[in-house]
Amino acid sequence: MNVLFVAVFCAAGAAVAMTDPAAFLPALLRGGEKAAGLCLSLAAVYAVWLGFLRVAEDAGLLSLLSRGLRPLTRRLFGTDDEQALGHIAVNFSANLLGMGGAATPAGVAAMRRLGERGTPYARAMLFAVNCAGFQLLPATVVALRAQAGAQDAYSVFWPVFLAGLCALAANVLLVWLAYGLRARLARRGRAGAEASRPQASRGGGGA
Amino acid sequence: MSAALLFPVLFCAVFVFAAARRVRVYDSFASGAAGVLPLLRSLFPYLAAMLVLAELFEASGLSARLAAALSPALSALGIPSEVAPLVLVKPFSGSGSLSLLSGLFARYGADSYIGRCASVAYAAGETVFYLSAVYFAVLPKKPVLPLVLALAANAASLALGCLFCRIL
Repeated sequence: MNVLFVAVFCAAGAAVAMTDPAAFLPALLRGGEKAAGLCLSLAAVYAVWLGFLRVAEDAGLLSLLSRGLRPLTRRLFGTDDEQALGHIAVNFSANLLGMGGAATPAGVAAMRRLGERGTPYARAMLFAVNCAGFQLLPATVVALRAQAGAQDAYSVFWPVFLAGLCALAANVLLVWLAYGLRARLARRGRAGAEASRPQASRGGGGA
Repeated sequence: MSAALLFPVLFCAVFVFAAARRVRVYDSFASGAAGVLPLLRSLFPYLAAMLVLAELFEASGLSARLAAALSPALSALGIPSEVAPLVLVKPFSGSGSLSLLSGLFARYGADSYIGRCASVAYAAGETVFYLSAVYFAVLPKKPVLPLVLALAANAASLALGCLFCRIL
């Protein structure tokens, strides 16, 4: 991430310096301004949803939801952590219902928990599931199409639904493949190192 | 039942249920909301860095040039070149891509092939860079592999989505 940041920043900075150097600092400030504004509106959204989620948690509703989704989430994320699975269940259901405002706070809470006692695989899987943006009804697009005077605002339902499902499947599959491969390579590397060590010492003894 | 009815019903039902189970709803809500401050503390620095970079990238004209460079590759995948800016902005900004989507609808019509592909490009796949800043802000080490994987997966599903637009 650090290398990426420096590379893109310097490339863009050089391009600005060549065309319009005066635009450099205003662009940076505009980014900071956007971050401050976004944080303020996020604070408002998170306050509502984290408060609501805490009430639902204290009432025992979250554990109910997470128990319902447990067979799926436990296998997918490879963790038994009660609290993480609870937040993941909320995150997943909110995503399906298109309630992004509720999904992100729950997802971040799950990520914090997985950061303490989860594997890189589980963290990557949580991120991947959220990146697909799969939802049962693309409400925003349908509303915008109706507003733009579409004949049938719902006519994109199937393409969008299937593409979202593909995105979910592809995201999950790629993480599963990449992290599974990495774990297998690491295991083989360890096994190989252990196997080669006696050989090497034997070779050293022969010489 | 209209979708707008979902939230009032959900909130009231959960609060009444919690009260019936002797949860101190007011205190409980407040203690949940208290979690916002540490969250923002860890989130703001990375959000600022990411958005500063995004603004600079936009101002440098490199994003427009990248869109132009990518459009042949996109059209080979069946994605109209008019949708290219939307495809590029989508991983960074939800509001930015929303304004591009309504612009495409106004210009080409919501029922055109371009309009349908734009619908797919907006709805399938999330604001990946933004999400990676938000989700990995709470981790001490920010991994980059999940970001790459998500971009690849979403690009593949976008191409499939445009194919679905043609056959469905």
